[in-house]
Amino acid sequence: MTRAWALSDDLSRAVTVGALVLAAVSILLLALETNRAERQRWLVLSSGVLGVLLVLGAVLRPVRVDVRGTELGPLLVVLVDGSRRLLLPQGEATRRAAALDASDQLRSHFGTARLVVLELVDGVARPLAEPPQVPRAVESDLSSALARVASTAGGRPEAVVVVSDGRLTRPSESADDGALERGAGGAGLPIHTVRVTEGSPPDASIRRVRTASAAVAHQPLALTVEIGCSGGLRCGRIPVAVRELRHGSAPALLASGVADVQSDLATVELGITLERAGDRILEIAIDSPPGDAVPENDRRLLPFRVTRERLRLLHVAGRPTYDVRALRTWLKSDESVDLIAFFILRSNTDDPNTDDESELALIPFPVDELFTEHLPSFDAVVLQDIDANEYKLARHLPALASYVETGGGLIMVGGPSAFAGGGYAGSALGRVLPVELSETERPFDTLELVPRVTEVGRAAPVLRGVRDVFADDLPVFVGSSTLGRSRAGSLVLWEHPHRRAGELPMPVLALGEAGDGRSIALGLDATYRLAWSELGAAAGGRAYGALWDGLLGWLMRDPRYESARVELTAPCVAGLATELSVTRLPGTPGVVQVEIERLGEVEPKPVVTREQHSSATVVTVDLGPLEEGGYAARVRIGSTPPTRLDFACEKGGEAWADSRPDPARLERISRVTGGRSVTAAEIRRLPLPTATLVATERQVTAVLPPWLWALGGSIAIGAHWYARRRAGLG
Amino acid sequence: MSAGLLIRRRHALGLFAALGLGSQRASGFGQAGAFSVRLLATGGKLPAPPRSSGAERWAYELVRRTSAPARLAPERVSADAPKLLEEPFALWAGSGDMPPLSRPELRGLEQFLKLGGLLVVDDLDPAGGGFGKAARRELARVLPASPPVRLDASHVLFKSYYIIDRPVGRVLGPSHLDAIVRGKSAQVLFLSHDLLGALARARGGVWSLEVEPGGARQRELAIRLAVNIAMYVLCSDYKDDQVHAPFLMRRRARRGP
Repeated sequence: MTRAWALSDDLSRAVTVGALVLAAVSILLLALETNRAERQRWLVLSSGVLGVLLVLGAVLRPVRVDVRGTELGPLLVVLVDGSRRLLLPQGEATRRAAALDASDQLRSHFGTARLVVLELVDGVARPLAEPPQVPRAVESDLSSALARVASTAGGRPEAVVVVSDGRLTRPSESADDGALERGAGGAGLPIHTVRVTEGSPPDASIRRVRTASAAVAHQPLALTVEIGCSGGLRCGRIPVAVRELRHGSAPALLASGVADVQSDLATVELGITLERAGDRILEIAIDSPPGDAVPENDRRLLPFRVTRERLRLLHVAGRPTYDVRALRTWLKSDESVDLIAFFILRSNTDDPNTDDESELALIPFPVDELFTEHLPSFDAVVLQDIDANEYKLARHLPALASYVETGGGLIMVGGPSAFAGGGYAGSALGRVLPVELSETERPFDTLELVPRVTEVGRAAPVLRGVRDVFADDLPVFVGSSTLGRSRAGSLVLWEHPHRRAGELPMPVLALGEAGDGRSIALGLDATYRLAWSELGAAAGGRAYGALWDGLLGWLMRDPRYESARVELTAPCVAGLATELSVTRLPGTPGVVQVEIERLGEVEPKPVVTREQHSSATVVTVDLGPLEEGGYAARVRIGSTPPTRLDFACEKGGEAWADSRPDPARLERISRVTGGRSVTAAEIRRLPLPTATLVATERQVTAVLPPWLWALGGSIAIGAHWYARRRAGLG
Repeated sequence: MSAGLLIRRRHALGLFAALGLGSQRASGFGQAGAFSVRLLATGGKLPAPPRSSGAERWAYELVRRTSAPARLAPERVSADAPKLLEEPFALWAGSGDMPPLSRPELRGLEQFLKLGGLLVVDDLDPAGGGFGKAARRELARVLPASPPVRLDASHVLFKSYYIIDRPVGRVLGPSHLDAIVRGKSAQVLFLSHDLLGALARARGGVWSLEVEPGGARQRELAIRLAVNIAMYVLCSDYKDDQVHAPFLMRRRARRGP
């Protein structure tokens, strides 16, 4: 209960002031007059003053106010930095442990306050989980979190206490006081800060990796790598290397350099060229100097979305035919295709009836130049009915196989000189083709056929265009290359209605993956009949473009021809649970099968396999915790061709890139907002805002009844009159 | 390849040509995509012997001189038959005026050209010029928005296999070619040179018709034009690719004006 005094509330302020002034003037005049008294001067004065005061009391009628109620503690918000950066080691523990310990201390220190403990996760303030979870957030955006803290805390707090190491994303390190105040809420809210650490660990790290432009396939890209050295570590010259993590092969070195670290900072410019479009994983690594306490931030694994301006395609044909014409015409009609074509127009046995080369518009087939120097610059290669031995391609087949394994695309189109007929059986290229090739069987036959669409072919988006035009019909083709059984993991979309490959029907169209690349085997030499036949013409020739759109699109991993959209639900963090979100395309029912393999290994084995029996359109697949590294996720839905997603899991990542705390920034934030900055050991120095009393009962009691004031005043004035007479005053 | 093999192939070609059989290269597989001179019959009319043998010789010369497979036995297709839409090439040869095409014939030709086919119009009587005029008239009904234009001397047709300076047939004819060009492709070529006449050959192995003004060189140039047309059909503008440009420019420079 609290007690207070007040005057009667039925008087206006003017009357009250007037009465007080009148009383004061009366007492003053009385004092002056009393000087003239001959005797009993004090009696005159005291009786007069008493009379004035009692009359004043009768006018003002003072009251006593007793209030009963409860005291409400002030609303305080504690924001604990929830960034993964706080998992950096600090002594035997981590900054995170220190921050959680500080939050416990704050609970104790502000015991009487209404305390809301939140966690700063990227730019959002969320209630701190109990028990606290291992953080995943990369950023510490205090500015965004403060802007929304009132709604999260359930009201405007009296103050905010930030527990952090100070290496905040926002407000930034370079912000001046004004920007800092605005960035820290800017609403006059005092922000206290608790600095969980003040010393930098001895650490060399890759602070930042920047690119001057977007990554475009085949075009040089400048990488700027910023390397920092802190905590008194002597770094000197540090080697830097950039590698690409590919599937089925060792990491490929793209560039290397040396960072000469002076003033704790060095910048290295490295030029790289990424030949393959799509999601590529780059490893940027420095050699850890002796004494480096945080080796986890010496290696970054960064995904690069490599686009392509145009699809650069090499089309090589062993003889000009209507099929070659149709493919060339279709490729040339597509502005997004940069076509490099070489057709064998004259073989060694042809007689052009002239010995004068200047009468011929023929150039030598630059096979060596194409398949050595220029090969990596192509996104895909189409080999159409070309004899590998006759045209000296055989010697380059190992390089062509490696090209596919490192991300290139290959289509082999049938004909008398394709597949086994062209000397490819038993060659290095065989290992990247989706079908086996026999060296002993007849390389082709001349039977008419209408290919049979397999179950996979009916489900595969790659053939959706053809199905849209023809349903399951196809025109009659004459003859087919002899293809063996499909390789493990390859898929047959069309099969021969009569010929067999072992126990199974012979593949006519098959797709396969080899390392980072994809390949297609098409055992026909007359796909132009998809346009030039009674069936094809009736559809206006659209089926031809639809087939090649699909084949080339699938080869280049165009999402339109994948069976599913695959993405991570959150960036992968090494050691933490990782989830894949798989969105199946309409019309692709079946079990979701996921296989995860490491990138950068020569013979990768699945590290995770999952099977999800769900018919939902979007399926979430829990991969469990993964180690640091690059991964390829192959997702197959039912019998459709697999969709691949390459991703990286980092242990330190962006959050650990700069291990230096920034206590000065926390101190500045507190200073400009009127708060106080303390270390964890000084939490008791933080001021406690006053509590608010919430009244439940209020009682007003008059000090004396009005009549008693008036009676007392009358008696005192009477006594004063008597005393004046006795003192000789008039 | 060895010289021995070359001789054997030549002998084989001669033998098959004499027997009127199909292509040797592909022997079935590959046949579907082989070049074939299909003689277009309109109103039931076709070139009469001896010129009709020119189609065989055209295919024969293509196989002998280039790597392209071809079907030696010529086919005959009607403008209103679905068969016209099975391959992208047809030769419309004739002489004199002709009656207007029927509606199905017009529709057939329109569909053929819309699919991207290439039609060669060969006036076998260039002096009269009646067939060429009639063909232009009828094709104007098929493609009213695409009038014939003169092909530039730098057109890929003149360098698709041989580097040739001008079109030549049984007669010297005009030094240029007219064509209906759609998109980037010449879809109809108008010849006023009696190309079939230059290629026509009797069973005994002698040329059926004399060339005018004459000479083996003119016949050779006519054959080269035929080969170039076939290569243009099979490879479209392949020789316009940037990779060929420096070679061809050097060769033209060496040949002189």
